[in-house]
Amino acid sequence: MSLEQQRMSDLVSIKGGRDGIRMTLDAAAPWDDLLKALEYQLDQSGAFLSGAKVTVDVGDRPVTDQQLAAMLALMQQHAVQPESLVASARESRNAARSAGIIARPVPARPLTQATGPEAEALFLGKTLRSGQVVQFAGHITLIGDVNAGAELIAGGNVVVWGRLRGVVHAGALGDRTSMVCALELTPTQLRIADLITRPPAGKSGGVPEYARIENNLIVVDPWIKR
Amino acid sequence: MARVVTITSGKGGVGKTTTTANLGTALAMQGAKVAVIDADIGLRNLDVVMGLENRIVYDIVDVVEGRARLRQALIKDKRLPELCLLPAAQTRDKDSVTPDDMVALTDQMRADFDFVLVDSPAGIEGGFRNAIAGADEVVIVTTPEVSAVRDADRIVGLVEAAQKGPPRLILNRIKPKLVGRGDMLSVEDVLEILAIDLLGTVPDDEAIVTSTNRGEAAVFDTQSQAGRAFLNTARRLAGEDIPLMAITEQQGVFGRFLGIFGRKRA
Repeated sequence: MSLEQQRMSDLVSIKGGRDGIRMTLDAAAPWDDLLKALEYQLDQSGAFLSGAKVTVDVGDRPVTDQQLAAMLALMQQHAVQPESLVASARESRNAARSAGIIARPVPARPLTQATGPEAEALFLGKTLRSGQVVQFAGHITLIGDVNAGAELIAGGNVVVWGRLRGVVHAGALGDRTSMVCALELTPTQLRIADLITRPPAGKSGGVPEYARIENNLIVVDPWIKR
Repeated sequence: MARVVTITSGKGGVGKTTTTANLGTALAMQGAKVAVIDADIGLRNLDVVMGLENRIVYDIVDVVEGRARLRQALIKDKRLPELCLLPAAQTRDKDSVTPDDMVALTDQMRADFDFVLVDSPAGIEGGFRNAIAGADEVVIVTTPEVSAVRDADRIVGLVEAAQKGPPRLILNRIKPKLVGRGDMLSVEDVLEILAIDLLGTVPDDEAIVTSTNRGEAAVFDTQSQAGRAFLNTARRLAGEDIPLMAITEQQGVFGRFLGIFGRKRA
């Protein structure tokens, strides 16, 4: 990740849990920089966010009607419809209400994280067939096969106890530490965060494998006793 | 009380109509009372394959819309008095019938037949949904090609989502020579992907082309390998325990197939 990209995701962080996706905006950065970072993030994970229940957290920054309108317009361009705004400043909440969004005060305790080891996970005990898609903001564990033509998209890690032959996207909200593992890792396409790779032609090694990002590359290795 | 069995595939051209005609004929040859329904409204074929095209007066849409009684629309087969065809309408489209109509229609037929076979159109849209609406069980036809198997996989998912129980598979047009060379998916390869029960395997057979063009089911031809395979498949559908036939070439038997068939019997 370049320094610029790092800065972008520091300004606007996207996390998800069972109750939807939360975008937290940096409380101190200038609004224009935030919008730039937001646009970058939307470009990166727009497909994942579109249609999702999104909560925007602006912290204690006072947000004017005009500032909020600019942000909403940007999100609308990416087909993302925020459901609620979390803000401690009354002015921000008023702006949200007049824009027709639910306004909430900042909760006392932060929500559980969507990525990282503590994130929520979805367990599935079935085979995904061509045309079936599972999307979850946390980790996904699936016992069964993911057939070609099926898609598995997770905000966190993906574990498949079976054959993974469809398209898989781990860290779909931008978490580059996410990994994918499967008993037979032969996906049509493998994506982690913003990186995409195709497996080399030919059969896999016939052993469980795992994929993760190392030095800006998706690396796949056999899962052996370590 | 009839069992309503829908024959579908997702992909077009894999042999749904030929399979329906042959299974229906074979079941009737064994003494069952059988009705076959052509659900491919607008692109009707089953009548042609069965050689009954010139006997059509009323069709499925006439029955659904009340212009004809079911008994009037059913066409008796040329050779087998226990086999009937309910033809599709050619001048209408798939929206002329709703899934509810199909459920009512098949329910109406249950009392008079042992088997009602529904020939589904290709695709996953309204025509397919109509075809499976009244089904008790679903049979998926596919060929050993990656694209056909991919579509079959999609259909398995849709059939399961429609709560029709796990469908069974007929693998059509197997070319033993190509499989032997490793250039075609084997029965094993296909079952590994789809993970459903195998009802029958049918070899690629030129006799099918002549029999469908002549409007006579291949199961009448005792020389035809595909005909024998359809006959066995029909007996399995009727609940008999028939081992899968080894698909042979002119030169000899493929032992590999024998091995597979012994284990993967449906």
